[in-house]
Order: sequence, then structure tokens, then C-alpha cells
Amino acid sequence: MKKKALSLVLALSMVVMSLAACGGSGEETGSTTPSTESVPASVQEETPSTTPDETPTLENRVILGNITELGGNFRYPSWGGNTAGAADIDINNLTTGYSTMETNQGGAYVWNETAVKSHTETENEDGTYTVHIELNEGLTFSDGSPITAQNYLATPLAFSTEVAVGAGLSGMGGQSFVGFDDFHAYTGPGSEAGTKTFSGIRMLDDYTFEVTISSDFYPYYYAYTYAAFSPYPMGLFSGEGVTIQDDGEGCYLSDNFYEKNGEDYVVAQQMTDNRYDISKYPYSGPYVISEWDASTKQAVLTRNPEYKGNFEGQKPSIETIVYVWIIEETQLDQLKRGAVDVLSGITGGDLTKAALEVVDGTNFNEVHYQRAGYGKIQFDCDFGPTMFTEVRQAIAYLLDRTAFCQAFTGGYGVVVDGPYSPDFDMWRAVQDDIELIDYSYSPANAVKVLEEGGWIYNSKGEPFVAGASGVDSVRYKKLTEEEANALDIYGNDAGNKNYASVANTDGIEYKTVEINGEYYMPLAINWFGSQPNTVTDLLSTTLANSSDLAETGMVIRSTTGDFTTLTGNIHRDSTMGYLGTPVYGMYNLATGWNSAIYDYSWNWMSDPDWADNSVNKLIDPYDTVFPYDMSAEKLSYEDALAAADGKLGIDYLSFGMVYNAKTADEYNQWWMAYIERWNQLMPDIPLYSNYYYDVYNAKIENFETSPFFGPASAILYANVKGF
Amino acid sequence: MGKYVLKRLGYMLIVMVILSLLMFLVYTMIPYDRAVTEAEGFKAAYKGNPNAAALYEEKLTQLRRELGTDQNVFVRYLGWIGLGKINGKYNGIFQGNFGYSYTYDRPVIDVLKTPMVNTIFINIFATILGLGITIPLGIFCAVKRGSKRDTVIQIGTIIGYSIPSFIIAIIFIWFFAIILKWFPVSGMKTPGSNYTGWAELKDRLYYMLLPLIVMTFSSLGGMTRYVRASMTEALSLDCIRTARAKGLRERVVVYSHAFRNALIPIITLVIGWFLGIFSGSVVLENIFGLNGVGRLYINALNDKDFEVVLLLQMFYVAIGLIGNLVIDIAYGFADPRVRVNK
Repeated sequence: MKKKALSLVLALSMVVMSLAACGGSGEETGSTTPSTESVPASVQEETPSTTPDETPTLENRVILGNITELGGNFRYPSWGGNTAGAADIDINNLTTGYSTMETNQGGAYVWNETAVKSHTETENEDGTYTVHIELNEGLTFSDGSPITAQNYLATPLAFSTEVAVGAGLSGMGGQSFVGFDDFHAYTGPGSEAGTKTFSGIRMLDDYTFEVTISSDFYPYYYAYTYAAFSPYPMGLFSGEGVTIQDDGEGCYLSDNFYEKNGEDYVVAQQMTDNRYDISKYPYSGPYVISEWDASTKQAVLTRNPEYKGNFEGQKPSIETIVYVWIIEETQLDQLKRGAVDVLSGITGGDLTKAALEVVDGTNFNEVHYQRAGYGKIQFDCDFGPTMFTEVRQAIAYLLDRTAFCQAFTGGYGVVVDGPYSPDFDMWRAVQDDIELIDYSYSPANAVKVLEEGGWIYNSKGEPFVAGASGVDSVRYKKLTEEEANALDIYGNDAGNKNYASVANTDGIEYKTVEINGEYYMPLAINWFGSQPNTVTDLLSTTLANSSDLAETGMVIRSTTGDFTTLTGNIHRDSTMGYLGTPVYGMYNLATGWNSAIYDYSWNWMSDPDWADNSVNKLIDPYDTVFPYDMSAEKLSYEDALAAADGKLGIDYLSFGMVYNAKTADEYNQWWMAYIERWNQLMPDIPLYSNYYYDVYNAKIENFETSPFFGPASAILYANVKGF
Repeated sequence: MGKYVLKRLGYMLIVMVILSLLMFLVYTMIPYDRAVTEAEGFKAAYKGNPNAAALYEEKLTQLRRELGTDQNVFVRYLGWIGLGKINGKYNGIFQGNFGYSYTYDRPVIDVLKTPMVNTIFINIFATILGLGITIPLGIFCAVKRGSKRDTVIQIGTIIGYSIPSFIIAIIFIWFFAIILKWFPVSGMKTPGSNYTGWAELKDRLYYMLLPLIVMTFSSLGGMTRYVRASMTEALSLDCIRTARAKGLRERVVVYSHAFRNALIPIITLVIGWFLGIFSGSVVLENIFGLNGVGRLYINALNDKDFEVVLLLQMFYVAIGLIGNLVIDIAYGFADPRVRVNK
């Protein structure tokens, strides 16, 4: 009897749990469309009993797939210190429009004439810079409410306050504008510090505003980007009922913005909550989110009839976009089955080959472009053998990058020689004039540069003999006193005197030796590679364990670990796996650009306060002789070159490029010199720049993507056949 | 019985505290500071500011204070469970704060809710289906031990038991989804559909069917063989011979007498299966694109989103302890000889 009771309890619990599970799934589903039993015709055609590839339907709808899952953070994906998800950014781009500046197909910021009626830029006598913007009237949000200057100024004001800090933001949103410090210090009525008004932001009427950039941030080549604002509905990030006013001395937020509940700002909580809003506030972009299903990670976007176009006046043709999370391994099968219409960013040899097999020009098409970025070897340039330019150059000569690229990308990639994308306008402008060292595979050149660099000894201070064994199988370099005491700027006295190889699996430890009071450093490089990582595996076979390396008189010792430990060692952060003394001189990772804004100032400084910015810790000797001074006169490139006796360092060039150049031609001149100097110093070795393939259903026409103009941007120009 | 249960609950509490401390220690030992990662995100905002370096340091210090990473591990532990102050406040599990997911930028409890519901949804069906097939099949094999049908099933279960579930998943996707096109390749619902009610359930089931079949198929071998072995042993008992000698019908002998004797080891597995409905399959959820707990768990580990991992592990510890208690009590119902306290 009791056994029967037990069985009954088990059976009942199963049923109850089934019902509970079925009933709870809709809790996180946000939808602005009424939930009804009725299903649109377009959806009914894809009921479970049908197979889409057998019964293709042409409806004005496109399904975009992304292997990055959607997170629901669509209103402001890059909030505070959080890394924005690519899928959430896409949704944000599709639903946010009328920015004063937008990114064009080439990655450049351009004025959006659909939103901006006119703009003027003025250099003021006090060194500040004013951008005056007049908006077009008649712009509206998706609910028909008008877009005015208040909507554009809501975030630069709100995000410059302590209230924003309370919501997890930096509170530095308007730091480049005059009067920021005072406005930022103000904490509401009764505040003893700061001022209520933000003098650098003016609202002149409902459709006109201007911002004045402080002399700390100007001159700056990209100063115009400070005037890039997007309109947000009042209340979304500025608090419900809050208004913006200007009595002639600058904009300010109404007192209720600073209202507190105990220690916390009320609006800070509203800001945080509204990040995940789907339906409470309207949208300004080409699409509105009509449904978001957190359970299945799908978002449905429908065309915003109020939208008047992007920077080129382009309006979307496609009525509905369904954005879905897909699995990389089966994405092509989903494409073939009709479960998704667009796959983006396919890369890598095997995946690309498989994707191209699908492309037949009849059912499926593709568009491809070279990635704006590259995989690389990165060096620490302040200690060990890799602090010497000749060693970095020698490693570049010893690696057959063409073969490496072929092996890694399967032929769907190219080798680049510097930190640039061939899609950059500046590269196009200088590519015929630029003079770069050709680091084609050449062990002979590697030996030559090493010998020129003084790597000519063995461990006894005698001439190096190729083919020797034990610790004498590598070259040694006699160090100057300064070189032997390297790393002093980090307050670490270990220096090169105690440099030694690690991960000595063959039992041989190479270390700096002292002979008659002089120090000789071995050409043994400690490399840290992340795992799992195909590039790490390939580098191990093609470089670290190659016979060329041994014959040249160099060893590379390999250590692998997770990416956090890798970055911890790069940034020398003991909380992330760095053990307190620099060990590794070489790493492999990748880098890239989201736009054509190219600014590497503050990245090559010797100032310890900025050392963390300098991932390579490279101090160009030219910069020591002729350093850049922010407060000094801004020299033209020719004048600076003459003043430096023809030896401008990488730090100087990186500053000159954005703080001295005023025109595109001037910028390109500085940029070319920067790339050439970088190419000489080789702080990184670019390995490959792979091609990205976007594969899509042939029912879609006029779909043209680029490195800076992904599917979410290109879809505005596309249409479904017949629509 | 009540006293026994209370005593066990007391032990469970002690085990929970010890395990939570151990787990917290393990994740704290990993060289990783969430405050540094968070502060890195602010660097772009400070760029160009003459005081950028100082601002960054200030932000890092503030974040370390708020997150408690500037404290020793025991202070952090007490803060996490809510018995100590972090940044001057009691704000831990006891106060209803189950942690924060930095990957999803939301409270952990919000992040877990949907995947947990999805996992339970599919696992309930897989469990019912699995038990519904394996228990009768195991009994059948034991009763027909040595027959051709038993041999065929034994070979089949050995093959099923030996093949990893991800291989089965790949084969099934290829055959049923790509060749036959009976099921979708992956996903959880028809893209763009806004079904409700019965239509929504049907759509969900259509997408769940292939993973469900794979999960059930993968679990058949082990359970069937377990039930068969248990029943075979029970059928060889003297009491069964006596029952048959008394002229009882074979059906009664098998289901009332033999199965009852075979029930104790089976109960352990059956309850274990039901407890398993809360844990997702890392492999299958990734292959089929299911937004479940297994996938969330492995992603959280990879992303060092440790507050998600910790809460999940604490949940599984609690489930495991409760499960053991239920199993022990259930033994008593199945077999009075092992009843713990009358």
C-alpha cells in the first residue's frame, strides 16, 4: 500500500513540475504587441509541420542570426564598465537613430543631415572650440512625439553627474566640455560644491544647441566627434518628469533630477531599470522592438514608420527583422533550412569553405571583407631580449607569416605589416608613398639584424658559434649598465641581471651571466600563449619549435594558460595571475577597430602614471631626446621633424597625429610617419588579418556590408525581392 | 521520524556552511579581481582627461571597496552570505542578495530564472520518458533473461551506453534534422512567432523533441541495464520461488514481489534522476542552442562570472542534500527493514 502511495506521489510530482515548468517560461518575455492566439500569416507558414526550404515564402521579413546571444540590454549596451554584447549593440543600432553624427561605410564619423539642419564650428580665442548645431524640425520618435534639443542634451547632462555615478556610469559623459568640473561637483539643491548650470552646453531654442569644448581637449583632430549626440526620450536616462532648461548661462537639469531616497538618488535607480526597457519609451531608429523573448533569446523588430532616414536619408524597406541567437556549428544548416536568412562574420578556413559551398548565387549569396584588425604577437619592450628592437625584428623574419596566415585562415586572410586596416582612408591616401620594412621570411636577415644588435656572444663572453649545445646554443648580448638595470621605472629591481628562461622542459635554463663585472643576456624568450587557441598551437610549431629558430641561436620557451592570466601579465596585475616579477616578453592575441577613428596618443608614454596604457611598455629612444609637450606650440610635421633632427619617436608621432594635425592631409602625413616608425620598432608582429564572410538568402537584395558597416547597418539598404 | 528528519536537517545546515566556505575559498583563490575588469571599462571614458590616471585609480579603489575585493577572504565570505558588512552594508544572501552577474549585468537570480525554467521543462519530459521506457524494458529483459530479445536489447543498451551523448546528438541532427528534415536543427521556437497557449506549447515541444529524443536515447542504456540487473537478482530470491510454488500468477510474482525487492537500488536512481531535472546538460544545450542552466553554468565559469557559479553550486548542494534525505526516507517506505526510525 505504501509503495503504491510512493508511486502516486512520484507520478503527481512529475505532473505538477511539468505544469510549473510550462507555466513559468513567459515571465521574462517583453512584448509590445498584444499576445493573442491569432498568429500572423507569415508566422503560420512556418508552423512545425512545414519545412521552410521546401515551401519557401517571400514575405517582407528577414531573420538575422548571430552566434553571440542577445542579452536584453538594448537601450544602452555599453553601460559603465560593462562590455557590450555584439548582438545587443546591433539591436541598439537598429533602434537608435537621428544621431548628429553617424558612422559611414568606411568607418568615418559623418554629419547626419537627416537630423542636423546646419552646424558651425568655431575656434575661440581662449583656446576652446564651439560646435553650434541646428536640428531639423519634424523629427519624431516612434510614438509620434517630437524630437527636440532637450532629447539630444539629456544624456550629456545626466551622464555628467553624481547621479549617473550612482547608476554605475563614470559620470564623465561631458568631461570634454567647458564647465564640466563645476557641473559634476553639483549634487542638487543645497549642494555646497559646484554649479547647477553646465556652462559648456547651451540650449538656444527647441531645435538649436551648442557645446563648447574645453582647451584641455582642443585642439584635437577628432574634436568634431565630441558633438556626436543621440536623442533619447526624456525620462529614459534623465529621470521621469525631469526637464532641461537654459536661462542664458548654460543648461541645467530640474531639481527633481537630484531627488534622494536616503543616501541614493531616485533617478539613478530609474536609469538602471530603464536600460532593459522594451516598451515604455519610444524609439528613434529605423526599427522598434515589438517583442523580446529572453527565454529563447529572440527579438522581433518592426519598421518604425516615423523614421526619416540615416545620414544618407536611407529608410528601411524590410518590414520585420527577427534577430536570433544561433549555434556556430550548425548555422549553415539553419541557413539552408530557412531558419535564418543572414549569417554574419563567418571566418576561419573550414567554416569559410563550408559557407562558400552553400553560396550558389541562386539560393544564397555572400559578401566579404577584410577584418579591420589582426591577430598578432605582442612584445613587452622594457625587459629581457624583447626590449631590443633587433630581437623583435629577428622574430618577424623567422616567422613565415604568409604560410602562417594560409594555415590559420585557410587562404581566407592576408598578412598586414602594421597597425592599420587597408579600409582606412588614411591607408588609401598614403599606400603608394609609405615605406615599410619588408619582414618576409628570411633566417639570413634575422641573423643579420641580431648581429647588428650585438647578439654575438656565447655564455662565456666569447664569439657565438652556431650549432653549439647546452646554454651556448643561443646567442648572448653584452648589456650596458642601463640595460642591465632595466625595469627600474616599475620600481622592480629584479631587472635583466637576473633574467632567466622559464618552462625549461629540456632541462636547460638560460640566464643572464656576469663575466668580469659585465652582464650577458641570453637570447631566450619567454612566451605566454592562451589556450585553447589555434594560433598558440600554430605558433608553437611554426616558430617556437622551428629548426630556423635554433639555427639562428634563439629559443622561445612556451607557457600556456587562460586569457585572464595572459592579460594579467601584460598589465602586470597581481590580481589576475601576475606573480610580481615580469617573466614573459611575448604574447599572442588580437586587436581591431570599430571605426576609422585612429588615436593612439597616451599609449606610448614613459610616465609611470600612464604605463598601464602602454601595453607594450615601449619607450622609443627618439622620444627621450625629443619628447612631446602638450603645453608647447603645436608644430607642423615638417617643423617637428626638423626640430628632432629627423628622429621623431612613436609617442611624439601619436600625439602629433591628433593634437597637431588640423587637416586630413596633415593627419595623413603624421599617420604615415607613425606607421613607418611602428614598423621599424615592431612592438607587435601582425600575423594575419582574416576575411569575414556574410552569407545570406538570395531573396535579399542590395545587402552590402563592410568592416565598419555590419548587417545591422547594411540592412537599411537591403530589400526582399519583390518589395 | 520527525526527530530523525530534524537531525538530518541540522546536519545539512552544517554541511551547507562548510561547503559554501570551501567553494567560496576555491573561487577566491583564482587570481582574478572583478574590480579590475570593471574599472577597465571606464578607461575609455577617462581618455584624454588630464587626470585620467588618478581617476582610474580612484574608480578602481571605489570598485574594490564596493565589491569587497580589498578585504580578506573571510570578510568577503561573511559579506557574501550576509553575516558581515561589505562597503559598510549587510547585503548578502540572508538579505536576499544572491549576487550579481557581471556578464549579464543583472542580479544572478534574474539571470538564473529563465534558463532554470527551460532546463526543468525539457528534463521533466526526458525523465518521464526515460523512466517510462527503461523500467518496463529492464523488467522485461530480466524476466526474459537469455532470450534473443534480451540479447538484442543488451547489445543495444551497451552501444547506447558507450556512445557519448554529443555523438548521438550530432548523428541525430544530421539524420533527423538535415536529411529527413523532421525537426529543426537548433533553437527553441519558430523565429518571429508569437504563439500563445496551446500553439506556443506545441511549437516549444516541436523544437524540444530532438534534444528530448537524444537525452532519452542517451539515458536508456544505463538505466535499463540497472533495472535488469536488480530485477534478475530479485527474481532469483527464494521468496520468488516460493511465490511461484504457491501458484501465484507470473504477473503478480514479477510486479508485486520481485519488483518490490528490486526497488531499493532503483529508488536511488529514480530520485537521482528527478533531482537531475534541475541540472542542465552542457553539451546538449550548446549543440541544440538551448538557453538552459548547463550552458549558463559553463559560460559563467569561462567568463569568471563566479557569483553565478557559486549560487548554482550552492543550489545543487542543497538539492543533493535534500535528495539524499528523500532517498533515505523513501527506502523506509519501500522496505520496512531499512526504515530509519519508527
